[in-house]
Amino acid sequence: MFRFRLDGSSGVPPYLQLVHQVRQALLLGYLQEGDRLPTVKEVAADLVINPNTVVKAYRQLEHERLAGGRPGQGTFITAAAAPVRPEAQDLRDSLEAWLRAADEAGLDEEAVTALIAVARRDLSKEKESAR
Amino acid sequence: MIWVSWRQHRSQAIAGLSLLAALAVFAILVSTSMRTAFSHDDLAACLARSEGTRCPAAITAFMNSFGSVVNISFWGVLLVVPGLIGVIVGAPLLGRELELGTWRLAWSQTVPRTQWLAAQLALVTGALVLLGAAITAVITWYREPMDRLTGHFINRAYDFEGLVLTAYILCAFGFAVLAGLLLRRTVAAMVAAFGPWLVIRLVVEFMLRPRFQVPLTLRQSCPQGCNATMGLDTVPPQTGHIGDWVLSVSISAGKQVATTYQPGSRFWHFQFIEAGIFVALTAAALGATIWLLHRRAAWTA
Amino acid sequence: MTDTEGLMTQQGADGGVPALRTDRLGRRYGKVWGLRDCTIEVPAGAVAALVGPNGAGKTTMLQMIIGLLEPTEGQVKVFGQASRANTTQTLARVGYVAQDHPLYRDFTVAEMFRLGQAMNPSWDQKLAAARVDALGIPLNRKVRRLSGGQQAQVSLTMALAKKAPLLVLDEPVSSLDPVARLEFMRDLMAAAADSALTFLISSHVVAELERFCDWLIVLCHGHVQLAGPADDLLGDHRLLTVPRATADSELPGTVIQRTDSDRHSTVLVHVGAVPLRVQGHAGWQADPVSFEQLVMAYLQRASLTIDADPAPAAQRPGPSAKAVTR
Repeated sequence: MFRFRLDGSSGVPPYLQLVHQVRQALLLGYLQEGDRLPTVKEVAADLVINPNTVVKAYRQLEHERLAGGRPGQGTFITAAAAPVRPEAQDLRDSLEAWLRAADEAGLDEEAVTALIAVARRDLSKEKESAR
Repeated sequence: MIWVSWRQHRSQAIAGLSLLAALAVFAILVSTSMRTAFSHDDLAACLARSEGTRCPAAITAFMNSFGSVVNISFWGVLLVVPGLIGVIVGAPLLGRELELGTWRLAWSQTVPRTQWLAAQLALVTGALVLLGAAITAVITWYREPMDRLTGHFINRAYDFEGLVLTAYILCAFGFAVLAGLLLRRTVAAMVAAFGPWLVIRLVVEFMLRPRFQVPLTLRQSCPQGCNATMGLDTVPPQTGHIGDWVLSVSISAGKQVATTYQPGSRFWHFQFIEAGIFVALTAAALGATIWLLHRRAAWTA
Repeated sequence: MTDTEGLMTQQGADGGVPALRTDRLGRRYGKVWGLRDCTIEVPAGAVAALVGPNGAGKTTMLQMIIGLLEPTEGQVKVFGQASRANTTQTLARVGYVAQDHPLYRDFTVAEMFRLGQAMNPSWDQKLAAARVDALGIPLNRKVRRLSGGQQAQVSLTMALAKKAPLLVLDEPVSSLDPVARLEFMRDLMAAAADSALTFLISSHVVAELERFCDWLIVLCHGHVQLAGPADDLLGDHRLLTVPRATADSELPGTVIQRTDSDRHSTVLVHVGAVPLRVQGHAGWQADPVSFEQLVMAYLQRASLTIDADPAPAAQRPGPSAKAVTR
């Protein structure tokens, strides 16, 4: 059975964490079309969270057409894992090269993360002012 | 609610029955020997013929054997027992619920709290009436030989026979239930109820009871000088009739004896009056409890 | 937070009767108001948290909701029916687990259930027996010989077996050790998943609240400070980082809490559902607010403004009435 995790300190709402975990698992191949997700009760008891949160996550997955409920049987993955796009593979390669360069330049993990955050913020400011 | 009330009072019920059983055992032991002595000395015949004036020696012997056990020590101990029974049963009824916080469980079920209280009171009061009646019956049977000599108007008999014993228990119970509600503590409620009960009990017995009805006075002249030894507790009493309750004997000018007394025929009348007083007090206390519970808002204890 | 909006409309247009609605609820003790002007709503099926410091009035509010206490002013409606304290109809509608889960210590578990059966016409004995069986609690054991966690479980079982549609729990875990606490909440969440019940849980601990509740009510000094669906309330607030010199009047929305440093200030603002634009303001940054930050800010604000006329609570009307179905 697929087991979810909850990160209490991440600042991300619990239901979104569940949705992300399913998306991630699909990308990595840990979940495949036809797999049954655990019941609302199983997740609520396992993670000790509000079952309404699980319902919300599953509804979101339905909305994104990643999963669907079959009455009386449970919730099942409906999407096939998205194939890795060739552009994504290129991006992945250049990212690895960049990380290697940052490491050689003496940047530690924290500095790298901060750098990424700043760059992201600048980019979103650009996008907003462009609108 | 019947089962709930029974289960909550189960240990008290067992204690009450044990007390009754112990009392019965004691009563059987002592009363049997009393009855044996009574018939052995043929006191019954003597009393029937002469109200006891013809067999003073036998009477004295009997009194020496059983007087202290049956009359004095018995009364001294048992005076407080009806009060204790009443407060021990009454104080925890509300006091314990409030003290331990279980009222939040008891009164949030589907039974409104006044209904809960009414059911509890009805059942426990009924049980106390039965207990009181049973104790009264045992003691009445136990004292029967002695009562033939002393009558049952004297306080050592009166307090335990007839209706008053049950009424004493109920009054202490009522006081303790009310105290439990007001003080929200079991032990404090027991103490707070017992004190007033005892005071009222003694006041009624020694100050009011002699005057429930206007006493009669018997004047006798004694030309040969008055025999001062005939007093309050003799057999027969100064009035010459066993069963009368002699209140006072006064000798004037060496020639006249005035005896104030309540005739034995008034025994049940007095029992009803006294029981009525204590039952009225019970009703007032329980009524106040129900009313206060209904009106009271919250218990932050 | 368009995701949330999309989901809300997906829940369907049936407004449904809210599980709980209080209208200007208040309670006075002598001259002091323990609770005043409290208007809240909890939709059916929600797991709602009532948060506030000790002495805020949580127990007073809960006891008026249950029907143990008569309000001084205002009204309580459970599933549309007005409540009258200490009446059979009102008491039957709400299940209650009081603080410290009181039970009769001399009773066995089976006897506690017998009491429940005797005092509740709607008692489900099968449910009660099945629950304690699944939890490994023997029926013939006296309550005083159960552990604290087990006693809490028995109390919860009694409230569930009453089959009332609204369940109120007053600080159910504050007296339990951490392991018992986790097990109790795990069991409670499973019970919530199994049924269509509505839960209202009070707590004075803010941490870890986010995982349990989808509806939040913040109570402080006898007044409701914040109330509504948890996710929407988070979406209505932002944590702004602005230059120190920026005045409150220049900030969007309502300032809830402001912390000033040498050169910058951190301000928690309530902006409502309107999307926030921070570009055009040099040196401004808007970040989402965490659950704990949000609740703490409102509690601290309440303590500061205790003498002032309390501002109307930040409320979320409309979609709040929709039932949550599981």
